[in-house]
Amino acid sequence: MGRLTVFACQALSIAAALLGWEAAVRGGVVDPLFVPAPSAVLGVLAGTVPETLPRLGDTLVKTFLGYALAVCVGVPAGLVLGSRPAAHAVAMPYVVALYGIPKILILPWIALIFGIGLSTAALSAAVFAIFPVVVLVAAGTRDVDPALVTVAVSMGANRVQIARKILLPAVLPSVLTAMRVAVVFALLGALLAEMLAGNRGIGFQMQRTALAFRAPELFAITAIVSVLSISVVLFLEHLNRRLGRWR
Amino acid sequence: MRVWCWRAAVLLAALLLWEGAARMLNPILYVGPSRLPSALGRVLATRDLPPLSGHVWLTLGEITAAYALAVAGGLWVGFLLGLRKTLGRIYEPLLAALYAVPSVVWYPSLMLFLGLGPASKIAFGVLLGFFPVTLSVLAGIRQVPDTLVVVAVSMGAGRWTLFRKVMLPAMASTMVGGLRSGLALSVVGVLVGELLGARAGLGYVINYAYGLMMTAEYAALVVLVAAAVLLLDGVGSVIEGRVKRWAG
Repeated sequence: MGRLTVFACQALSIAAALLGWEAAVRGGVVDPLFVPAPSAVLGVLAGTVPETLPRLGDTLVKTFLGYALAVCVGVPAGLVLGSRPAAHAVAMPYVVALYGIPKILILPWIALIFGIGLSTAALSAAVFAIFPVVVLVAAGTRDVDPALVTVAVSMGANRVQIARKILLPAVLPSVLTAMRVAVVFALLGALLAEMLAGNRGIGFQMQRTALAFRAPELFAITAIVSVLSISVVLFLEHLNRRLGRWR
Repeated sequence: MRVWCWRAAVLLAALLLWEGAARMLNPILYVGPSRLPSALGRVLATRDLPPLSGHVWLTLGEITAAYALAVAGGLWVGFLLGLRKTLGRIYEPLLAALYAVPSVVWYPSLMLFLGLGPASKIAFGVLLGFFPVTLSVLAGIRQVPDTLVVVAVSMGAGRWTLFRKVMLPAMASTMVGGLRSGLALSVVGVLVGELLGARAGLGYVINYAYGLMMTAEYAALVVLVAAAVLLLDGVGSVIEGRVKRWAG
């Protein structure tokens, strides 16, 4: 089966799902008060965009701040934990445990201290993103083949050469993977903080739209955010493949 | 042995730092570890708080329902898409795209559709738990060596024997990892749902304590829930280790 056929089947499936949904609403199977028809969502989409885009920008700024913090702290921490077995043995169980605890539990506390503004959402994004970064980078660093380093040393390579020629190419893929995974985690953290304790941003807007029973607008916003995050992830995957070819 | 001493030292240092910082700062916002036991006592005696046991049982019930549905749905979709290659090629990219959306985006719609009761929490737990289970089944099926399947079939293995003796051992370690992350995410889904809007359940009690600025009680509840989650995940990791040893 060619790529085009697969693509056509995907498009047809989505179209069929949307048509079935539309028919279910029109036929009275589901109440349009709670689940609006796709046509109704499309109708409000154009009107929702001007209101949504600035809020989305607001959320993305918070996401980016938290993401940058998580990467700047998480990557060095992962490198240290991965390259020093003693530190790994002592600290890793705690990192894994913190990774496993649902972060939503401490969000109210962060909101209590930092209020309902930018810093809470950015910090929440960082808290969500940092643990996967540390775990992935540490695992990647540990997997560097020690034989390569031994051979390089025995052939007279100095520290800078080892770092540049062996460690960097070996660690880079896991750092890139971590940076890619962290984007979605950071966005999740920012959105969740806005939903729980926000007065701006897209998460707050979604929560308020839901509580006001404005279902078509809610679905339109959900669609906008979904399309945005899917395109970001696809773009990063594309970038990753390009980088992989370059290596 | 020395590693354990160091770990204990790190934990102790963290607790001391936390205690020292909390003593210097505003006691309403920062609760030191020394204040946790008494707060835990107050929480368990349910003074000023809604009685706890009913909420705990409700949350556990929601988690059980969500995880059971996520596993059933995830295994079904995973095997369907994994074994029927055509379906897999069409629908796996769509699933992966949906997985790239931050899950909490779906929660307001679920809340609108299913209300503030347990149904929306269970649905969100199912949604979160479903993806890792499905994706791990798909990844596991890809790990089954084709040659083994061909050899087994040529030796006259039936469908069930093929599944039980060839596919399952090859898939087991990946699949059990997915089942474990699915459980963790189902728990997160239910807790997030309860914290974002509920009238009952553990998340509701946490929100209640936080809303009344009962910070010590809030902190005690958070530590309690976090410990329970870690315990559950610990059990999961033991089971995962067993299965991995069985699969070799």
